[in-house]
Amino acid sequence: MTKPILIATGLTAAAAALAIAVPGFAEQRTGAKAGNFRLNDASGKVVELGQFKGKTVVLEWHNPGCPFVRKHYDSGNMQKTQAAAAAQGAVWLTINSGSPGKQGYMTGPEARALAAKEGSKATAYLLDPKGVVGKGYAAKTTPHMYIIDPSGTLVYQGGIDDKPTAKQEDIAGARNHVLAALGEIKAGKAVSVKESRPYGCSVKYEGVS
Amino acid sequence: MPLLRFLFVIFALLFAVPAAAQGAQTHITATLLAESDAPAAGSRVTLALAMKPAPTWHGYWANPGDAGVGPEFKWTLPDGVKAGPAQFPVPHRLLIAGLMNYVYEGDYAHLIALDIPAGLAPGTRLPIKLDADWLACTDEVCVPESGSFAIELTVGGGERQPARAAQFDRWRAALPRPLGSEARFQVTGGALRLAVPLPASAQVAQAYFFPLTDGAIDYAAPQTVRRDGDMLTVEAKARDGAGDLAAIEGVLAIGDNMGLSLRAVPGAVNATGAILGASAEAKDGFAATLAVSFGLALLGGLLLNVMPCVFPILSLKALSLAKAGGDERAARAEALAYTAGVVLVCVALGAVLLGLRAGGQAAGWAFQLQDPRVILVLLLLVTAVALNLAGLFELGMLRLGGGLSGTGPGGAFWTGALAAFIATPCTGPFMGVALGAAMVLPPAAALAIFAGLGLGLALPFLLLGFVPALRRMLPRPGAWMERLRRILSIPMFLTALGLAWILGRQAGVDGMTMGLAAALVLGVAFWWIGRRQAGGRSGWLALAPALAIAAVLIVALPRTPAVAASERQAGGVLAAEPFSETRLAALRGEGRSVFVYFTADWCLTCKVNEKAAIERSEVADAFKAKNVAVLVGDWTDGDPVIGRFIESHGRSGVPLYLFYQPGAEPQILPQVLTPERLTALAV
Repeated sequence: MTKPILIATGLTAAAAALAIAVPGFAEQRTGAKAGNFRLNDASGKVVELGQFKGKTVVLEWHNPGCPFVRKHYDSGNMQKTQAAAAAQGAVWLTINSGSPGKQGYMTGPEARALAAKEGSKATAYLLDPKGVVGKGYAAKTTPHMYIIDPSGTLVYQGGIDDKPTAKQEDIAGARNHVLAALGEIKAGKAVSVKESRPYGCSVKYEGVS
Repeated sequence: MPLLRFLFVIFALLFAVPAAAQGAQTHITATLLAESDAPAAGSRVTLALAMKPAPTWHGYWANPGDAGVGPEFKWTLPDGVKAGPAQFPVPHRLLIAGLMNYVYEGDYAHLIALDIPAGLAPGTRLPIKLDADWLACTDEVCVPESGSFAIELTVGGGERQPARAAQFDRWRAALPRPLGSEARFQVTGGALRLAVPLPASAQVAQAYFFPLTDGAIDYAAPQTVRRDGDMLTVEAKARDGAGDLAAIEGVLAIGDNMGLSLRAVPGAVNATGAILGASAEAKDGFAATLAVSFGLALLGGLLLNVMPCVFPILSLKALSLAKAGGDERAARAEALAYTAGVVLVCVALGAVLLGLRAGGQAAGWAFQLQDPRVILVLLLLVTAVALNLAGLFELGMLRLGGGLSGTGPGGAFWTGALAAFIATPCTGPFMGVALGAAMVLPPAAALAIFAGLGLGLALPFLLLGFVPALRRMLPRPGAWMERLRRILSIPMFLTALGLAWILGRQAGVDGMTMGLAAALVLGVAFWWIGRRQAGGRSGWLALAPALAIAAVLIVALPRTPAVAASERQAGGVLAAEPFSETRLAALRGEGRSVFVYFTADWCLTCKVNEKAAIERSEVADAFKAKNVAVLVGDWTDGDPVIGRFIESHGRSGVPLYLFYQPGAEPQILPQVLTPERLTALAV
């Protein structure tokens, strides 16, 4: 009987070990210091999170081909939220972690043209084709939103709102978590909804699995 | 000209637009249909939204995982008609660039229970309207899709359309079954542990917990599954705040399309017991572990050499090598050819299995050996080899590459191939588990394991070929070799006996007799061939009619399926009979009281009740005294007939205990039973 047991053990051990190695997604904790990062923007300029100390920063993960992103841009909801952020002096960084060859990947000039066409009010459009910052923030969907307060603390992460659909008509009845949090920060209050479930397409990171 | 071309292009575009709108349709084709178009008033009818994803596309489970969204359903129903929540089949995992998706990659269906109010006149029309939204994705892109569906039901007698009923039964079988007992969870040191009560006797090769509750575990993180007695535990990386959850719901998948839906509440969980393969994902290097498993497979193959069906072939081959004398090169060539034969057959068998797996069949070694026809083929092959060893006929005259006693690389190759092939029946029963594990590996790794087995099997002979010292230790050839060959036919005949026994278990006495008859016909043919060979003539033609007869017998072999699930549970002290609605009706027609219980191998509550309350001599005596009949339904494999019956009693799973008194509505007994409760029934 040793033989079958040995074989079984061998194969089971192999099965146990040969599973897919999950790339390192490092989650950012709400209420803790947000990790610093440095990326090129669409015109090739280096943008660092740390340079915005003293200002509220909104991060938005973006993929122009994703229907959930389309929902919020075609309806003007995202631009409206960006304008509200700009009005209170907040910085808005749109980040594209799409890998070259995958849906939504853009070069700098393409990103600039798109931002102009859609009337984006973002401070900068950042390119993260290797997905380093995306994985560092465990950005999973497009859109996926983060808010960092003037002290550099992450105060919100999650979805843009609480209606996880791709339909524009659902925007009217939804709670825009980012707009609400920005309002609370402006009023000097604590953010009431600190986390929510992000929804949308998966971020098109490089690699297959 | 340019103008003409321009007009032509415009013209083409005008026509292309509607064509594209039609062609684009949706990537998941959805259809709404009812199990019965004429449901009875006051009854419950099942609707299905059947989903057919185009190749490479997938739809999402209720909890989509890291990204995506689950479907949404909006019903427009006549007054009084109520739709239950949509039910989801057990999903699959799809990991894309480190993000986990819980999806359906093949055809699937959402089932919805529709309650028809009582008091509606037959013929009342019930227009049913559904607006559904779902997300269709490939690995690269996502498309939100939606559909409006309208069907009309007419209140009637509740007849099921037979063709549709079978389809609904298949969809029902894909739904997770309620576990029936409560699970527990605990968050410790960043890990969430889930304890699921599951009888130790329930066979589980791999398991994965699909959480329905968001925020409990990291979806892409590996899960470690352990079994310890009647408890299965799952451990995975917890999400922040998981410890504050009041309950975690989800589906524990314990096989292909086999899942148990459960709800876990906070409680202490000790993760003890043996780690279950498959979903336990170690972080060690791929290459290192592959080497280890290859080594173990090699060792396993080496040990195969002493199996009664392989050993005789090997020993004869070794002796023939010794006979070859001192020719180094010939010995090496022969050893290499033998090794090639063994390894190639092992890898080929592995490739066939992997191919079947890729084709979507639940194939494994054990699965094949459950087919009595395969057993019969092996029985005849082993009998032929045994008769050859016993000296009834010689293979040497067959120029098919030398055969058993042939020499030269060609002969050695075929001996190797034969040895590997013959090894399968000996090892089949226990290799099943191991090969099942190989099935979950990537194809290349799985093939490497098969190659390792082959190499191990060939190793002794390879050593003999390359180490002359070993060869010198072999005894000198002589007349004793013939005697040894005769003796070695005994283990071969024993193997045949074992196969005949398996055949008898699978195909009954008739099947076994047919198998033995085929072996007899074959034996007579070989005997005749042997006689002619002794006279210096060839007689292989005699084999043709014998093989034809054997083939006919193989095809005609009765295939009694492995004992049906319900029969397994039946019997016992209560003399329970397998459940069927007709049997129940017949017993009630006789005016007898009937106790009906439904159970499943994975249901711990059921097993505890059976041990503690049902299968007791006092219960048996009480039932016997009052002539109470007992029926048992086994839902382990999700028998849809039983599923429907359970559903019609307002339950969604096992355990379910019913007591029928003559002329009365059935009484549903509590889920926790005592012998007293049961004996009190028999009055």
